[in-house]
Amino acid sequence: MALHPISYLLPDDFDLQQLKSSFKESHGLREEVPSKVKLTYYDSFDWRVWNAGGELHEEQGSLNRLCWHSIKGRKEPLVQVIDQSPGFAKDLPAGALADQLASVLEMRVLQPKVHVIQQQQTLALLDSEEKTVVRVVLEQNSYASIDGKQSGRLEGRIVLKPLKGYLSYFEKIVEYLKAMKLRNCGQSLYQDALQGAGIKPGDYSSKLNYRLDPYASADSAARQILLDLLNTLEANVAGTKADLDSEFLHDLRVATRRTRSAMSQIKGVFDPQQLEPFKRGFGWIGQVTGPTRDLDVYLLKYDQYRASLPEALQGDLDPFYSYLLNHHKTEQAKLVRKLNSPHFRKLLKTWREWLEESKVDLENAPSANKATAKLADKRISKLYARVLQDGLAIAPDSPAEMLHDLRKDCKKLRYMMEFFQSLYPKPAIRELIKALKVILDNLGEFQDLEVQAHSLEDFGSEMLKEGAPASALMAMGVLVGRLFERQANAREEFANLFAAFSSDGNQKAFRKLFGGA
Amino acid sequence: MHILGVYNIKGGVGKTATAVNLAHLAATEGYRTLIWDLDPQAAATYYFRIKPKVKGSNKRLIKGKLDLDEVVKATDFENLDMLPADFSYRNMDLRLEEAKNPTKQLLKLLRPLSQAYDYVFLDCPPSISLVSENIFRAAEGLLLPLIPTTLSLRTYQQLLDFLEGHRITGLELMPFFSMVDRRKRMHLDVMKNLPDEHGELLKAQIPYASDVEKMGIHRMPVQAFAPKSIAASCYQALWLEMQRRLG
Repeated sequence: MALHPISYLLPDDFDLQQLKSSFKESHGLREEVPSKVKLTYYDSFDWRVWNAGGELHEEQGSLNRLCWHSIKGRKEPLVQVIDQSPGFAKDLPAGALADQLASVLEMRVLQPKVHVIQQQQTLALLDSEEKTVVRVVLEQNSYASIDGKQSGRLEGRIVLKPLKGYLSYFEKIVEYLKAMKLRNCGQSLYQDALQGAGIKPGDYSSKLNYRLDPYASADSAARQILLDLLNTLEANVAGTKADLDSEFLHDLRVATRRTRSAMSQIKGVFDPQQLEPFKRGFGWIGQVTGPTRDLDVYLLKYDQYRASLPEALQGDLDPFYSYLLNHHKTEQAKLVRKLNSPHFRKLLKTWREWLEESKVDLENAPSANKATAKLADKRISKLYARVLQDGLAIAPDSPAEMLHDLRKDCKKLRYMMEFFQSLYPKPAIRELIKALKVILDNLGEFQDLEVQAHSLEDFGSEMLKEGAPASALMAMGVLVGRLFERQANAREEFANLFAAFSSDGNQKAFRKLFGGA
Repeated sequence: MHILGVYNIKGGVGKTATAVNLAHLAATEGYRTLIWDLDPQAAATYYFRIKPKVKGSNKRLIKGKLDLDEVVKATDFENLDMLPADFSYRNMDLRLEEAKNPTKQLLKLLRPLSQAYDYVFLDCPPSISLVSENIFRAAEGLLLPLIPTTLSLRTYQQLLDFLEGHRITGLELMPFFSMVDRRKRMHLDVMKNLPDEHGELLKAQIPYASDVEKMGIHRMPVQAFAPKSIAASCYQALWLEMQRRLG
């Protein structure tokens, strides 16, 4: 059985002497030397540890230890001795904690969120052998933000720590403190510290989650959506520039893509002439961030690529990895220059200003005052009809372009459904988004594998110029073959998947939710 | 999880003091550590002020009806837990004989603890028995305190023969001199000659010291009551060398 400490708030008028003397009556008592511990709490930028019900901290001492506590499920903590501050899960010493973090974090890096300094005074309650049976720890804690700009004291705590094998003693002390009417701490020390530093756990998520008013004007809904996407984009700029992990750039690009899609698909709510320079601007962001992301993708996939080759060839692929790393460095430097450019900064600034000033020009934006729900129904049902028509027209021998076009439309449809999902019954719209995702995954695989195969060929010619060994190119050739094979499989699966997507049941569900013929 | 046995066929060689002090050092450094007192004499259990069990858990243990986790007790030191001695361990050989895979029972019992501990120290009963064979098969390494006498060396050779005879390989043997008395001519002679024949011998040595004996009075590891003593620094050296040896 896992034993967990119980924490109570320490009242300001707490009488420590009285507590000690009453402990002395029932047990032996030893006061340990007061100690000071520094904890640093970690999570990914998008709070994956927190979302998984965990709290992760590094405790600095003669050995540094990284500890994972599960808030849900009350499991035993996972602990790992570390010799450098934690970053990526793959760089941690092998063990249960590294496994847990690998599945929670995936490609994301850990970042410090807040520091806690604990001043502890421990009272050890002893049995007749003078063996400790319960620890009562009085804690004075303070927090400090990572940049050091904010710090302050937290409420004092009195923590009862059970010892394995001495549960009955623990239970008696719990009863005793209950009788003293101490209040349980409502939240963990981490939550206290985050609150003190003004940080809300889960304050960033790349998922779309708007609460829209169905009767509000469509133009205000569009502004709300676009402003939120702009916030997401801006939140990822610093991490992208610093190249902390590949997900910052990814989220920045997704926000860019969604912005472009919203601009073109939420039709008639803005003056197209005023929108035009921004459309061009976001197109430019998509363009300049592309090369680094491409290389990120290959670097992320590298292990998988390598493993897909016959064992004898796996080592031959290594020059490709060095090539990717080198070029990534170059492209990243170029990207940082673009993100630091006045053009980029001005674009985001004017875009925000434009979104925040709510001038409606009905002549050039005829749908601006329409009810949001009405516009959403109309646009989504129209896009759905197009997807259905294009998809059903695809035969086994249709050219690849038709599938690529279908993918674009499916993406537009998905974004629109996600932007406006709060206007529809949750289970119904989730179900349809899920059905659409299946098709999108298939189309994505079909196109991405082709792009990857062609890029590998291009990389190969580049590497040849840079003097890479023939063996590397041959290994890459085998890889290209594998990718085309998988692409052919995806093409074959399409017909069945689309048949399922366009089933009568789904068509009915779409019509029921969004109207339309 | 590193499982280490502290063992000698002969008793009274400083075995329990070694297990207790090394386990304490590991825990002090932050490693989650378990010490299992397998010796029915219960000296390690006594050092940690834990009351030994009188009624047996060993029967239920071997029959798989009891998790080790249920009998673990926390010591007074952070990160250091103990499986206290049980008087019924004196019959453990009999119980083991009844089990299906009699030489691998201990390993089977310890396996579920692998996520909970970084180091497990087994304080072994003296003698060669089914219990010791279990320990040899469960452990990654054996710490072997040797008093530098000819008799002591004979028992070490007996152990080597036993291991070879039972095809127990891959066990990291870490003999070291214990209860060294530099005033004794014989100790000095043995210590001079042995290293040539046995490259596995650790360089760290534990002297015959009153601070080690005082562990029984203070009922705690040397480091906890005499951190600056020679004995404490010798155990520290042993701990460091052992870690290096295990890689």
